[in-house]
Amino acid sequence: MSAQVIRAVLLALLSILIALPVGYFVAHWAGWSVFCAGLGLQMLFHFRNFARLDRWSHRPVVDASLEGEGAWDGIFGRLYRHEKDLRTQISERDDQIRRLFAALQALTDGVVALDLSQQIVYCNTTAEEQLGLVSETDRGQPIVNLVRQPEFVAYLSAGDFERPLTLRSDRGTDRVLSIHVVTYAGDRRLMQIKDVTQTDRLDQMRRDFVANVSHELRTPLTVLAGFLETLQEIDLNRAEQHRYLDMMAEQSKRMESIVQDLLTLSSIESAPPPSNDVVDMGNLIDKLRRDGEALSAGRHSIVAETDRLCDLRGSEPELVSAFGNLIANAVRYTPAGGTVRIEWKACAQGAEFAVEDTGIGIEAKHIPRLTERFYRVDRGRSRDAGGTGLGLAIVKHSLNRHHAQLEIRSTPGVGSRFAAKFPASRIARV
Amino acid sequence: MNESQHLSSQFDDELSRLRTHVLQMGGLVETQVSAAIDAYSTGEIASVKTIVETDRKVNDLEKAIDDDCAHVIAKRQPTASDLRLILGISKIVTDLERAGDEAKKIAKGVRRIYENGHLPGQYGVGVRHLAEAALTMVRQALDAFARLDTPQAANVIRADTDVDAEFKSIIRQLITHMMEDPRTITTSIDIIWIARAIERIGDHAKNISEQVVFIVEGRDIRHTKEKAN
Repeated sequence: MSAQVIRAVLLALLSILIALPVGYFVAHWAGWSVFCAGLGLQMLFHFRNFARLDRWSHRPVVDASLEGEGAWDGIFGRLYRHEKDLRTQISERDDQIRRLFAALQALTDGVVALDLSQQIVYCNTTAEEQLGLVSETDRGQPIVNLVRQPEFVAYLSAGDFERPLTLRSDRGTDRVLSIHVVTYAGDRRLMQIKDVTQTDRLDQMRRDFVANVSHELRTPLTVLAGFLETLQEIDLNRAEQHRYLDMMAEQSKRMESIVQDLLTLSSIESAPPPSNDVVDMGNLIDKLRRDGEALSAGRHSIVAETDRLCDLRGSEPELVSAFGNLIANAVRYTPAGGTVRIEWKACAQGAEFAVEDTGIGIEAKHIPRLTERFYRVDRGRSRDAGGTGLGLAIVKHSLNRHHAQLEIRSTPGVGSRFAAKFPASRIARV
Repeated sequence: MNESQHLSSQFDDELSRLRTHVLQMGGLVETQVSAAIDAYSTGEIASVKTIVETDRKVNDLEKAIDDDCAHVIAKRQPTASDLRLILGISKIVTDLERAGDEAKKIAKGVRRIYENGHLPGQYGVGVRHLAEAALTMVRQALDAFARLDTPQAANVIRADTDVDAEFKSIIRQLITHMMEDPRTITTSIDIIWIARAIERIGDHAKNISEQVVFIVEGRDIRHTKEKAN
């Protein structure tokens, strides 16, 4: 800096040195003009550099265009370096922020950041999908304007975030969300949203199973106990005693069949994979049709269509029980006069065993849960029909062991179709 | 200068609070409608009581919001889009309140059907589908209001035609059914009332969407045949 001052003073002195002799020998005004010209030249030099700086500062670009002369060069250089460093820093920080946002986007949990007045500051795609938000347009919108469920509004305004809120999503999909609110940066709020549909369903299944087993066993037990009490306390004649004992026997048989089904289910679950013996499907289906006819007692027409060129590999007793179960269901849930079609045919992926009926049908919402243990579409009706509630669960397990998929299609009031699709590896061509 | 800025931001706050209240009321109505539909298909008539109670809350909110609107108009003398917003809001709350009433009617109809030991039977599916369409309309209309999104509002207005057509087809089916078996008339009439209430909910959603178009664009598209382009 001091060098610049000395230089400026020296230049001023130089112009004085030239101006003095000129003023002395020529004229006063001439001396002054030389001096002024000297100073003016210096100013002109500075002004040019200043103009450059001015131009650059309007639109600072980082290329070689910022070059000064003399003392200005140093200043320009430093400015230039400062600008360049700043830009690198900014772009690094931008990268960091971008990566951070990408990480937030990649989260499988939904994230919504709210500001002090509960307006949306940021939300990731998972949250968009879960809550039906649109990130671009919904920023700055109070969250309660879009997630309007009263439970949520109450939860957010109560401000007690100890426990997460479980919310049933109302946007078409039947999903269960668990919303956890944490505070960050002072009093701002961050919502974490987990999709707990699966866990919720499992919990529900477990609760239902325990409740159902107890209920299914208790009903016949209550009847048994009631009859026992009657027999103990009231003197009955032989005929009545017999009638009661018969009913008791029936109830105990019922309990036995439930326990038997439960045991079958657990043994299927833990048994080694089924054998690879070839099962003669022609015979098997004939037998199944006859069993079906016996059960129907002439109330339905039962038709079988068998592709005799293809057989199945697997354990015959398990397959008989699974297929028989499907046919028995079709007979039970089809009103008298209906038709039950049994079909066995090869298809592109392997082969398919199907039972189609013209029965009462099943509503779509029940179909995914149909193979759960003790799941009943209509409690009263299925028990009257003599089911234990475990049939389809056993069918599904047996089929799974044979690598088959159970496909259920149904229209209420029209009929249902249960199809077991076997892969090619399970098929034996004749 | 400073004071007027202060006042106008206070005004903005008031307007945004008003909108949030309307949407909160909308949230209550949405829950009412969806609970009524659930009651219809599951037969759990315990929720009918909650639906009727929620209706009281909806009514209170309607009164409170109307009051706020009157206050804002008296105090601020809003003009242009602010005025349209307030006029629109006061109409939207009326429609919301009526939609809530229709939900209450559905709930009571459901209770009647199940208490008489009947089941909606094969009409369960059709009515449920109709109800889901109407509920989606309400939801989208409220979303359109929250985002002041006119294309979305136009979608809702268009969807109303489908709901109306579906309603008519359910009525036709029920008429055939009643002619075939007069014993089903009681239940069928209850189902008609329910379907009618659902169809009205769709109409209210359409009205709300028309108000959204009015708020945003200043065009009144009520009772015009070719609706919002």
